Amino acid sequence: MSDNLKDILSNSNKDIDNQKLMDYLHQQLSKADSHEIEKSMSDDAFVNDAVEGLQNFDTKKDMQAYVTDLHNDLQKQLLKKKKRKDKRKLKEQPWIYLAIVVILTLLILCFIVIRKHLGF
Amino acid sequence: MNPEKFKHIDDNELLHYFYNDKNNEWLGILLQRYTLLLLGVCMKYLKNEEEAKDGVQQVFLKVISELHKYKVDYFKSWLYMVAKNHCLMKLRNKGQYFKEINEQILSTPDETANESFYIEKDVSLNNMETALQQLNKEQRDCVTLFYLQKKSYHEITEMTGYNLLQVKSHIQNGKRNLKIMLQQMQQK
Repeated sequence: MSDNLKDILSNSNKDIDNQKLMDYLHQQLSKADSHEIEKSMSDDAFVNDAVEGLQNFDTKKDMQAYVTDLHNDLQKQLLKKKKRKDKRKLKEQPWIYLAIVVILTLLILCFIVIRKHLGF
Repeated sequence: MNPEKFKHIDDNELLHYFYNDKNNEWLGILLQRYTLLLLGVCMKYLKNEEEAKDGVQQVFLKVISELHKYKVDYFKSWLYMVAKNHCLMKLRNKGQYFKEINEQILSTPDETANESFYIEKDVSLNNMETALQQLNKEQRDCVTLFYLQKKSYHEITEMTGYNLLQVKSHIQNGKRNLKIMLQQMQQK
């Protein structure tokens, strides 16, 4: 009982597993697990708003599909951003291009000199 | 990167890695943890599945482009504020909601919304019992059933006859009032 009294104002801030949240939305959790989710809702406005919103989805399938799509989009965005960053890095370092041109020129010169010496 | 591989790393550590090397892949792992919650928040405010999905995408973009500009200590609270502000701004543009949103809110989110209230160990349990008795009947009943008897919202609605919203509100208000009363008792 005294431990329960302490529970009222303590805030576990425990992160909820997404699968557990899905199971809660579909009433597939035990009483104890449901209570754990509801305790998180009462402690955390983010979780509370999220659960209230997710309860408005038509089907579980939709929700899963949206999450999968969002993850794929996120990966694409991150990849795009990385490519842009890499490109910018190259632009910011023109000496790389200069070095490539110098090396190529040297190689061509070497080729010409060797060719002349060998009499091809 | 497979997010499952990083399950053992908490948000703060991932955030620390991100600030250290500015590698967005850390951010990707962090954001994926909250996709479902963000989708729920956007759905709650925008009330349309497609708009909610677009909303989450916008929040992702905002976080990717803005997080490096700020020193965020509590990623989850910050992310919630970004998402909520995004939705409120969208509603405001539609003329459904008006709220002043400024850069300050975005850069320094209201951490108090999610801030834990940790009871000091020496807080007397007697104080708690006394405070509980001082709550009004609705709040006392709901707080007792929820926290002490571990009943679910649904069970409380059946036992008390209040609807779900009332139950949630009595628990929230009861908890807030208890906190205030305990603080007053400690000051005495």
